[in-house]
Amino acid sequence: MAPAFHKAHKHVEFFLQQLVNGITLGGVYALVALGYTMVYGIIQLINFAHGEIFAAGGYMGVILISWLVSQGYPPFICLSVALVLAMGYCALLAMAVEKLAYKPLRSSSRLSVLLSALGMSIFLQNGLMLTQGVYDRAYPGEMVQGGFEIGGAVISYMQIVIVGITVLLLVGLNILVFKTRIGKAMRATAQDKTMSALVGINSSRIISLTFAIGAALACAAGIMVGMYYGSVRYDMGFVPGVKAFSAAVLGGIGNITGAMLGGLIIGMIEVFAAGYISSEYKDVFAFIILIGVLYFMPTGIMGENVDDTRV
Amino acid sequence: MKRALYLLSLLLLVSFVAVGCGGEKKEEKKAEAPKAAGIKIGSLSPLTGQYAADGNDIKNGVLAAIEVMNAEMGPLGPVTLQAEDTACDPRQAVAAANKLINEKVTAVIGAYCSSATIPAAEPLMAAKILMLTPASTNEKVTESGHKYMYRTCGRDDDQSKAAVKFTQEYLKAKTIYLVDDKTTYSQGLADNVEKLAAAAGLKVLGHEHVNQGDKDFSAVLTKVKAAKPDVFYVSLQNSAAAAPMLIQVARMGIKTKILAQDAVYHPQLMELAKKDAEGVFLTFGYTDKETPAYKKFAEAYKKLGEPGAYSAYAYDSAVAYLKAVKAAGSTDADKVKAELMKLEFEGASKKIKYKENGDSGSNYVIQVVKDGKFDNFWNPETGELYKK
Repeated sequence: MAPAFHKAHKHVEFFLQQLVNGITLGGVYALVALGYTMVYGIIQLINFAHGEIFAAGGYMGVILISWLVSQGYPPFICLSVALVLAMGYCALLAMAVEKLAYKPLRSSSRLSVLLSALGMSIFLQNGLMLTQGVYDRAYPGEMVQGGFEIGGAVISYMQIVIVGITVLLLVGLNILVFKTRIGKAMRATAQDKTMSALVGINSSRIISLTFAIGAALACAAGIMVGMYYGSVRYDMGFVPGVKAFSAAVLGGIGNITGAMLGGLIIGMIEVFAAGYISSEYKDVFAFIILIGVLYFMPTGIMGENVDDTRV
Repeated sequence: MKRALYLLSLLLLVSFVAVGCGGEKKEEKKAEAPKAAGIKIGSLSPLTGQYAADGNDIKNGVLAAIEVMNAEMGPLGPVTLQAEDTACDPRQAVAAANKLINEKVTAVIGAYCSSATIPAAEPLMAAKILMLTPASTNEKVTESGHKYMYRTCGRDDDQSKAAVKFTQEYLKAKTIYLVDDKTTYSQGLADNVEKLAAAAGLKVLGHEHVNQGDKDFSAVLTKVKAAKPDVFYVSLQNSAAAAPMLIQVARMGIKTKILAQDAVYHPQLMELAKKDAEGVFLTFGYTDKETPAYKKFAEAYKKLGEPGAYSAYAYDSAVAYLKAVKAAGSTDADKVKAELMKLEFEGASKKIKYKENGDSGSNYVIQVVKDGKFDNFWNPETGELYKK
């Protein structure tokens, strides 16, 4: 009996560990997915440059944190100051991108805006490559060290910080969208731009704000990914960008709760497919599930009958 | 007002570009304007993408060699370099090779990834251009019977033998777990090690394949942790891929001995993984930085940054080619080939003497990361530790 118990215990341990890994990864995807879904919700644009904002956030994080650490500030201060400043920077960057690349095309066909987004993505990625170099850039070590064990699963403090910040940002976003006047204006603009403008909502400003909020979330994700894996590179935005976009589609594009859910699901599938089947096919499984869900629910998991909550 | 806003947003975009202050700018030396006279060498290596660090090492190694050899070339000179980017992609490698053929180079140093070298060799061989690879260790590179193909680094079959010998004789391991990232090189090497380890009586607990460019290895590492192998064999395409792996190994509290391979031999590994790289074993050619040949190379390389894994091999490849050209008094491929076969000299990386099939022999030893530096550790020939 004892070996059987031991074996069962090992299975639980393995499952718990993968669960922890999945939540961490899924949280990051969720943060990036929100930017896609919010922008799509408000102007029906797939913002291809979003992944690059994520990468720019990672770089801004490494620049700020390295500088703050060299000034001798404690890790907690370094992290929070860098996070706030970098998020602000990314928000401004995304607003500038919107002003330059999308706003002038607002009345033209959706295809032109889409191409403009693709061009912006290439421009930003190459900008990062030219200014920051083609090499991996290391995050300063010793930021958040150590961890603890629960039921055989190791949870690092870094994972706690990532999940903590993610939850905080998600709660903050929900309050902003569903409890404030700005949020109400955003929801109104998403439903009907002309009508909301008639009742006095400055839709241009609201669209700009939506870009800013999405970018700030992606930026936070970029910094956390950089810290978690220890380094950033100019092309780091592409793969998470694609995954997060899939997460947004899976959850029902345009729906905030859906994007959070979609991110978590994609992260979990990846980790569990790698854990129980093969790491070789983890992306394949993530996309099989995506196709399967879209086959039966073409609008995504949360894509229906929630029109009034979308942004 | 509107105009001011546009101006502001433009400024922001530009400031994005100006954030470059923190970026590391490696010195880039442009090849001089091509002239009709002289010797034109091409280089193939990944200058962008995730293997860019290794690719630039190769380009810089060739530049250092050109600087050293230029004075000696006499009427044949000057030597110029045309560096092309393969991005480690088979298709781009072939396109880059064709471009070098059009540019009328007489020899190509490269490429880095075996998966780029093997397809790029086809058009180069057809155009009778010598190819000397400083870094592609996959056996197939010299086994396709190409007449003008040379390899300055070692071979993976030899490398895997050294790895398994070390695992068995020094680490006294009974079990092994392997991971690779599915490139011609990394998977080929891991497959070799798996075969040899199984033949030697080691128990193979698992062999996982991750995707190129993956940064999250938590799922695989959870498996490794549960399997508790004596040795964890890591075969990834370069140091930037291995560093996040090592960070996550430490974070998950996996205490298994780690054995890696030549591709992670790069100062970047310690820069990215920091203390988590300590104690990692790897197979790499025996390196002696005190020889006169290495010192000459280091002197020429100084202003190009810190030498990486294959800088010295790229340097030796280019020096070997230029020495052969000088002896032949021409850049005709067959004449240079005849001289290359006769050539024997002390290079910066090892003693260079090419064999009939283009190989130059392997000198793999086990190195270890100690105090942030790579160090010769164990000699598989004698089974003894290197004394420090």
